[in-house]
Amino acid sequence: MGLKKAFLRLATIGLGIGLMTSAALAANLRVLAWDGYADPDWVKDFTAATGIGVDVVFIGSDDEIWAKIKGSEGQDFDVFAVNTAQLQRYIKADLVSPIDVTKLPNQKEVLPRFRDLSQVSGDTKDGKVYGIPFCFDSIGLIYDTDKVKPAPTSMSVLWDPAYKGKILAYDNGEHNFSFTALTLGYKDPFNLNAEQMAAVKAKLVELKRNVLSFYTTADEAQQIYQNNDVALIWANYGQQQVKALQKIGAHVAYVNPSEGALAWLDNWVISKGVRDNAAAEKWIDFMLSKKVSSALSERTGFGNTVTETSSAGGNDKLVWLNNVEDPLKRSDMWNEVKATP
Amino acid sequence: MSKTGSTQPSERQLSLLVTVLAFALPVVFVLVPLAIFLVYSFFGVDQGTIVYAPTLGNYVRFFTDPIFLPVFWNTIVLCVSVAAICILLAYPAAYFLATLKGRWRYALLMLLLVPLLMSYVIKIYAIRSILGLNGFLNKALVALGILQQPSTLFVFNMNAILLTLSLLLIPFAILPIFLSLERIPQTLLRASDDLGASGWQTFLRITLPLSLPGVASAASFVFVLAIGDFLTPQMVGGISGFTFGRILYSQFGTAYNWPFGAALSVALAMVVICAILIGERFGRSRGTSL
Repeated sequence: MGLKKAFLRLATIGLGIGLMTSAALAANLRVLAWDGYADPDWVKDFTAATGIGVDVVFIGSDDEIWAKIKGSEGQDFDVFAVNTAQLQRYIKADLVSPIDVTKLPNQKEVLPRFRDLSQVSGDTKDGKVYGIPFCFDSIGLIYDTDKVKPAPTSMSVLWDPAYKGKILAYDNGEHNFSFTALTLGYKDPFNLNAEQMAAVKAKLVELKRNVLSFYTTADEAQQIYQNNDVALIWANYGQQQVKALQKIGAHVAYVNPSEGALAWLDNWVISKGVRDNAAAEKWIDFMLSKKVSSALSERTGFGNTVTETSSAGGNDKLVWLNNVEDPLKRSDMWNEVKATP
Repeated sequence: MSKTGSTQPSERQLSLLVTVLAFALPVVFVLVPLAIFLVYSFFGVDQGTIVYAPTLGNYVRFFTDPIFLPVFWNTIVLCVSVAAICILLAYPAAYFLATLKGRWRYALLMLLLVPLLMSYVIKIYAIRSILGLNGFLNKALVALGILQQPSTLFVFNMNAILLTLSLLLIPFAILPIFLSLERIPQTLLRASDDLGASGWQTFLRITLPLSLPGVASAASFVFVLAIGDFLTPQMVGGISGFTFGRILYSQFGTAYNWPFGAALSVALAMVVICAILIGERFGRSRGTSL
């Protein structure tokens, strides 16, 4: 996989250099995206269909996107991919342009939960649409079908003493406070007041006493699963993690809890410095086509906004990740939870 | 005469350059970074950005917040235990090595040091699967009838950290002890034998005291390496094995509170410096009395 990616990257660089010579004549569309969001065959199809050349630059972290876009005040790229939690920051810094949804015919065909963008938290501001969702994954619950019966429906199963010492949780204060807040029934898990924080903290201390360990990478969780008696895993890496476990023969299934599953959602956005707005709209619309969307899910394991995937059923409640009130506070309190004997 | 006169200045220049380099490297790569992090420990953080105004807040927090001192203390106790276990296991091994003759001695020594060539992370992974509920240790203990059923005693708690760190650091204990044992003149042992001392008496009165400097430096070595480790506790410590290294690490990662992390590092550095000084002191005083 790493080798394949390296080759793809090399090919893209080669393509980039090749196109540079022609860049002076026709302005190419400049796309900034994560690996897997702009595969070469789609780029080729897009150019064939629209006659618009594309230069893709791949990034590896949220901070890198911010540095690239902020560094040039949006002038270096036309379209880029960013998640809903990050998007508001770009809107506030005036780095993105509003998008005219009527120019995106494919947006009318998306799954019901993505049709009304004003209902997708983080995508709009003052009635204007800034982000078009295209790819997501939920943070649900992986359970061993042999050990957990009946199938769980809520994260509250993580507190069930029947599974004491058989639970793998994730080592991250921010997410743990958010999902526990959802389990406690709080409306906005990303903005907790002092009283709610205290309640969540107490609940997390109880959780800690019920779990086997806190993991950090998907790989690590898998190794612990293989060498120990694990029944439940809080799946930070969602579908990828489920598939990896099933591959090694584990009898596991995946569920999004009824109180709502945290989920990340990536969007296409148009930068402030866009050279050809129509070309950017065509790109986004092209990425929302059934063909590209389903291929994206097939290749990455993530959910897409056009076709149904195993990331989330039609009735699953998803809570799009957002910036939390005070990351430092949550991190400190998470340390306190871990230090509590 | 004129010839030597012409070479002398260039020679002097060269030696001056070498001297400057010899001092500059440690200053640039060790002292300056240390000074920077010491300075950082007096800054603060507000809304995710570092505030460059001097404050003692980080140190006040370290001493007053109820979570830091107990974890700090537990970590020190843990690392002293690791050092003790390593010494107890390494001494017989080093002693055995020192009794061997010729080529065998160094071949075996190399074998004992081979684990150091392996990646540290891979070793932790391997040890973790050995300690797990379905791991080799549990399977062996059950097969031998020592345990009725697999136990979770060995993984994801303080025991796991203790075992893993000891296993990882034993080579660092063997080497100094072996070197100090090897340096003991054989004539002393023979003299002791000639004067009618038993093997046990010779060991207690001659070998052991003379090897103590090696033991002291081995102990401080292992302690310092153990206390600076955050990866082992993170990977095998689970929920009860929370150490100071993990708190420190979280300040730089998720919390993004570098100043407080720097203050915690200063506290850790103090302990490390003390350990090194103690090791040094015992190592030297014995050595000079020879």
